Amino acid sequence: MLLFWLLVGGTLQAAVPAWRHMGQPAFPILLGVVLYAALNKKARYFVAAAILAGLVEDALSLAPLGYSSCAHLAAGTLAVLLRKDFFADRAFTTSWLGALCAAVATGTLALLLRSKGLVALSGREMLWRMAGSAVLAAALIPLLFGLMRGLERRLGTWEDRA
Amino acid sequence: MKDRRWIALCAIGLVVLAMLNLPDAASRRVKGAVRDGISPLQAGLRGGVREMREIVRYVRGLGDLALENRALSEEIVYLRGETRMAQELARDNQMLRDLLGFAQRFPNKLISCEVIGRDSTGWWQTVRLDKGAAAGVAEGRAVLTTDGLIGRTTAVSTRTADVLLLSDPSCKVSVRLKRSGEFGLAEGQGARPGQPPAVRVDYLLKTADVQPGDEVVTSGLGGLFPKGLPVGRVAEVVMDASGLYQTAWIELAADLGKLEYAFVAATEKDLAAVRAAPVPPDAVLDDESGYLEGEDP
Repeated sequence: MLLFWLLVGGTLQAAVPAWRHMGQPAFPILLGVVLYAALNKKARYFVAAAILAGLVEDALSLAPLGYSSCAHLAAGTLAVLLRKDFFADRAFTTSWLGALCAAVATGTLALLLRSKGLVALSGREMLWRMAGSAVLAAALIPLLFGLMRGLERRLGTWEDRA
Repeated sequence: MKDRRWIALCAIGLVVLAMLNLPDAASRRVKGAVRDGISPLQAGLRGGVREMREIVRYVRGLGDLALENRALSEEIVYLRGETRMAQELARDNQMLRDLLGFAQRFPNKLISCEVIGRDSTGWWQTVRLDKGAAAGVAEGRAVLTTDGLIGRTTAVSTRTADVLLLSDPSCKVSVRLKRSGEFGLAEGQGARPGQPPAVRVDYLLKTADVQPGDEVVTSGLGGLFPKGLPVGRVAEVVMDASGLYQTAWIELAADLGKLEYAFVAATEKDLAAVRAAPVPPDAVLDDESGYLEGEDP
């Protein structure tokens, strides 16, 4: 199921243009899948999802292989650490958690790309972009969680908090 | 239990480290394989979106008619719908004729491609084409539309190719002003909030005659881009802060936000490599006939 969402997420993420108004962040669909795995699945599924999502994201961009995996692992780990404090099935809390994790993922990736000199980005632009991805994630991730959970319930693979 | 956790952590670390340190060739192969695997989904999605757009356009047209002509019978609505469809077809026909005519005028062999995706991270200004090495696309080739140059190919897999757009800060093109013959270096400025992607021409002599509206074309210097390809028009000219040279902001000839089709300017060598390969080249426009190779005119 996660593999299906990773393929669909990667395809959609590459089809939807980045948001021009807040530092050009992409819609964090793959990150949403990783966070879903981090909050609802066993650790090994989350790690596999983070690495594969990074692989797909890097393959569909000019980023070196593995960079996005690091960013997704960082964001997912944060989600796992905060899992007990959040209600994963409440839209409001997943929205906040999504925003926080998206900012962390964007920041991690920005630092990695900057350290290799692959993108020229000032600190202000980086913060602006982190804020942009947080806003997008806050709006998108509860919807994505709802879709994923709905599909899992229909297929009978949903289990409350693994 | 604690040991197992540490082992798992170390294993994850090793996997990530291995990915980060893959040799360039292996990394390209992995990325190419993933990209080729996803490309049918991207092409399918693109096709679906196009169909939806046509349906929405059609339904919207019907809605307007209903408001304006409530008294008209179903037959008239049907006939108008038919007319609308015919107009769509005529427009598509004209666009294809333009594309073919353009291919005939262009000296290089052109490979017609469809745009199927964009950069998935938003860090770079790129688009993905539905043709790759199997069709004769190679890295570092000029990519253009009927309006003008849009960028160059970067990562090429068997079935897809990424195009680094002119608006990306790492895309630099040697250009010439058609009227005055002045040379300069066009450099992408990335996306600016709420504005279309920008390109700037630097290093124009401070005494150079540069006027808004001047046509900017490729200079052919460096050998990467063919000479004389339209890039855009000068929108604004400013003196550099150092006072040593002028800078011109240009309005690109092609709309980078609405790319649907593009051509890759292939060399004879690229196409020869494809002919030698077992996979036949697909959709390569032939200079002489203007028709797709292998198709009956």
